[in-house]
Amino acid sequence: MSTYEEEHGIQQNSRDTRETRETSQEEQRRQVRSQLQELFQNFGSTGGEGNGHSDSTLLLQLLSQLLPESLQEEWLQEMDNGKNKGCPDTFAASLPRINKKVLKPSDNCSICYTNYLEDKYPLVVELPHCHHKFDLECLSVWLSRSTTCPLCRDDVMGHRVINEIDTTEAELEEDWGMYG
Amino acid sequence: MASLPKRIIKETEKLVSDPVPGITAEPHDDNLRYFQVTIEGPEQSPYEDGVFKLELFLPDDYPMEAPKVRFLTKIYHPNIDRLGRICLDVLKTNWSPALQIRTVLLSIQALLASPNPNDPLANDVAEDWIKNEEGAKAKAREWTKLYAKKKPE
Repeated sequence: MSTYEEEHGIQQNSRDTRETRETSQEEQRRQVRSQLQELFQNFGSTGGEGNGHSDSTLLLQLLSQLLPESLQEEWLQEMDNGKNKGCPDTFAASLPRINKKVLKPSDNCSICYTNYLEDKYPLVVELPHCHHKFDLECLSVWLSRSTTCPLCRDDVMGHRVINEIDTTEAELEEDWGMYG
Repeated sequence: MASLPKRIIKETEKLVSDPVPGITAEPHDDNLRYFQVTIEGPEQSPYEDGVFKLELFLPDDYPMEAPKVRFLTKIYHPNIDRLGRICLDVLKTNWSPALQIRTVLLSIQALLASPNPNDPLANDVAEDWIKNEEGAKAKAREWTKLYAKKKPE
């Protein structure tokens, strides 16, 4: 079984000059920190399920005692953010635009509450499946962090593939009509 | 401080001109993103006849991010911990920018009417609620009388 010193490469440092020791200690601290973060997030996410249940719980408890609460919260937040990744950047821009003529004066964006027609050149898009409309700008920000429609929580990415195939087919047919 | 988004101004105006029954929300004079809130306990709940004070803060990212809401009045409820923090899906993972201050406060009022001890934030309260619902409700009523008493205006 390896000792703590061996595992963390401390022995090696003791032979180094003072200067390199300092830099490698910093490097080590970073490594230990990221290892701790990994441990914490792993055990946090599994909740100590599966094998080694009691070990995990114990370790998590131990880790929680060692780590300042602010750091734990930061790491948990990071985990949450990782889970709620949004759509790719190109998705919102690829949504069908709504012609100004079909917009009524009372229609407004449910994200910024502004009537679309207050803008001389409104840039309004529609989600293809649920047909909910939003300002492109507002919706883009939301879809960078979520994949759901703000109004009905429909998973917009769930229909993406089908939608893409549809467009290609439509384009193909058009081409056939023109050149065939 | 950055200027207040139009949406926040509109929401605030609507809250004042067309208030939700049993709920008040007033922005702080010095910080228009900070609201002092009161919610009346729903009828036929252990919180009936109580008036609960809360604070609500709209973060810079609002409405992309949910408002931060906390009970200031002590309350015995399985989804509200002793610091007043609330366990409610729309305040966390189920937030949507189409929701607003009004809907959030209505959801909190609904949470008072129907506590959910199976998704607890205050573990000891939830345990009490599951094991001895009548006793827990009696305690909630007692706390309402003690801490959330309606003040004559």
